[in-house]
Amino acid sequence: MDTKDKNPELSSPGVMFPDTSITPLEVDELMRPANGVMTEISPAEPGVEPDIEKVGPRKKSPTPLQESLRRLRRDKRAMASVCVIGFFILLAIVGPFIYQHIGGTYQSPINGPIGPSVYHSPFHQELTNQDLSFSSMYWLGTDDLGRDLLARLMQGILISLTVALLVEIVDVGLGVLVGVLAGFYGGWIDQVLARVTDIIFAFPGLLFAIMLTGIFGTEADVVFSNVPLIGANGDARLILVSLALAITVWPLMARFVRGQTLQLKEQQFVEAARTSGSSNRKIILRHIIPNLFSIVIVASTLNISNTIIGEAGLSLLGLGVQTPGSSIGLMIAQGENNITGYPWEVLLPTIVLTIIVLSFSFLGDGLNDAFNPRSKD
Amino acid sequence: MVQFLIKRFIGLIFVVVGVTFITFILGYFAPGDPIRDLLGTHYNLQTYLALKHAYGLDLPWYTQYLNFLGNLFRFQFGYSFQYQNRPVASILAQGVPVSAELAFWALVIQVGVGVPIGILSALRANTWLDTANMGVMLVFYAMPVFVLAVFVQVFIVWIDQHTGASWPVSQWGNPWQYTPSDISFKLAPILVFAAGGAAFFARITRASMLDVLRQDYVRTARAKGLNERAVIYRHALRNGLIPLLTVVGLSLGTLVTGAFFIENVFNIPGIGYETIISIGNRDYPVIQATVVLLAVGVVIGNLLADIFYSLADPRIKIQ
Repeated sequence: MDTKDKNPELSSPGVMFPDTSITPLEVDELMRPANGVMTEISPAEPGVEPDIEKVGPRKKSPTPLQESLRRLRRDKRAMASVCVIGFFILLAIVGPFIYQHIGGTYQSPINGPIGPSVYHSPFHQELTNQDLSFSSMYWLGTDDLGRDLLARLMQGILISLTVALLVEIVDVGLGVLVGVLAGFYGGWIDQVLARVTDIIFAFPGLLFAIMLTGIFGTEADVVFSNVPLIGANGDARLILVSLALAITVWPLMARFVRGQTLQLKEQQFVEAARTSGSSNRKIILRHIIPNLFSIVIVASTLNISNTIIGEAGLSLLGLGVQTPGSSIGLMIAQGENNITGYPWEVLLPTIVLTIIVLSFSFLGDGLNDAFNPRSKD
Repeated sequence: MVQFLIKRFIGLIFVVVGVTFITFILGYFAPGDPIRDLLGTHYNLQTYLALKHAYGLDLPWYTQYLNFLGNLFRFQFGYSFQYQNRPVASILAQGVPVSAELAFWALVIQVGVGVPIGILSALRANTWLDTANMGVMLVFYAMPVFVLAVFVQVFIVWIDQHTGASWPVSQWGNPWQYTPSDISFKLAPILVFAAGGAAFFARITRASMLDVLRQDYVRTARAKGLNERAVIYRHALRNGLIPLLTVVGLSLGTLVTGAFFIENVFNIPGIGYETIISIGNRDYPVIQATVVLLAVGVVIGNLLADIFYSLADPRIKIQ
């Protein structure tokens, strides 16, 4: 088997930057010396620290994964991020159920007596209660249509996380599949990948997403409106948004995976597997893919913050979630109209978005340091 | 060198064809019938067919694509669906100067502020100054551009309300003119737009400078008794800044997409703003033209950056 890298364009991300769609964070990854940190892991290495020897020979040396998790646990910034992310996930999933059971019956001048399950719904407009400040009834106030801001915020966070999940599923699925095939077999798959990445990287990612959602947005509202859970309340377009964002990011993942696969397939354990008669399929499934874990988890975590920014940005431009649905971007866009009178309405979603995005960035950085300790200076 | 240029040029053509084809095919499969929408209640078959022919929409797709390409090369982007008889080029002509001005000043400030901060941080590496610098830069560049825009807008509104000033938070003023009133419009968007990129430049500059300062030739320069200024300015800086060339090319992409958000948050009538309006109107020719222009611009910018990079750094092997 020819193990030489046939595709020089893909192999040197450290020197040239054909990639225009990646964000500063990712570029920073690429900027580090020696052909990118991501490709420099050798998972077969046990990573034994000298002081472990002192403990005694009986103690089993930790696996590389345990070592990495131990390093991650020591990273205060990353652990704080994990807590923040966990809090927001809980808030988005469990929060609404609790919130809709807190509070007494409200005698609405328009809608008659309504319980918290109505006025704490993110979509309910209580038009006599516009732009209210914090109160025991509306914990974070209301917007210009009398909707509960906390309820809308929780719904918006849920949307952000859902899109991030959808995009990462496609990103990891396609990226690993194509990257492994291109790295392992080379040949035409590799060539096609090189060309596709060239084109997609030439397109500034969000520009492509803006065009795709802009042209097919209204159509998607209709087509996806019957999808359960996500089809209702103007959220149908999210599927298109996720698709658009996923299309722009998977080539980067494929490129990382390809580089890693190229290195892995020259490792001795792959050689050994081949000598003992394993088929290519088995080598890929048993030996290559499990060893891609760290690179995939780091790249996808770092990518999540871009995805969340992308979804919020598209919704901000009116291309994502439609009213009456809620999304952080949509809340920012609606708060913008009210900025002179009630700046809180735009500040709240903006601050929350910042916290979420920073948390995912910090967690991604922490994971990178934990899984690729040598990348640190 | 010639070989390198030819190779890059072929790659460029391939990418441009790919980008234009994607743009075209998305518009081609776009749902709805813009001509039908345009006619509205005045619909009759004869006008419909005549208009369809006038816009070239009755031809097979490959002919349409070739026409699309041919027109692109002549900078003719066809006619807007929304405003009849108004060429797309004239719509672009309004937006381009504004967007170009925004991007130009943003880039100037990004380089002008980011690079010195990066150098300073590298020279004072691991001191409190460096830590503070890099902390601020990290936050700036991890934050999406529209988030910063919102914070600045809220701040301006607050100033207006508490001092009685009338600092505007939207609109742009006259392109490329700098009276005090124009500047009051332009200052906030440009600074916000520049912040993320400046942070990016600062980080890259710092990393690159630290790398260079560790090189043997810097040690040699110090060892032969040169004073620190000469070492830094004559030996380290010149080499340390070379990688920035590619970064300038890279930041074109973020300048383009960032402009969409800045222009829409601040209501600046640039091409990003026009494009979003066109999307609302299903005005596909305008969308296609802006997207192709921006994408091709980014591709060419990257190519130029690569070429300058290889010219500036003889260590880069030209294949």
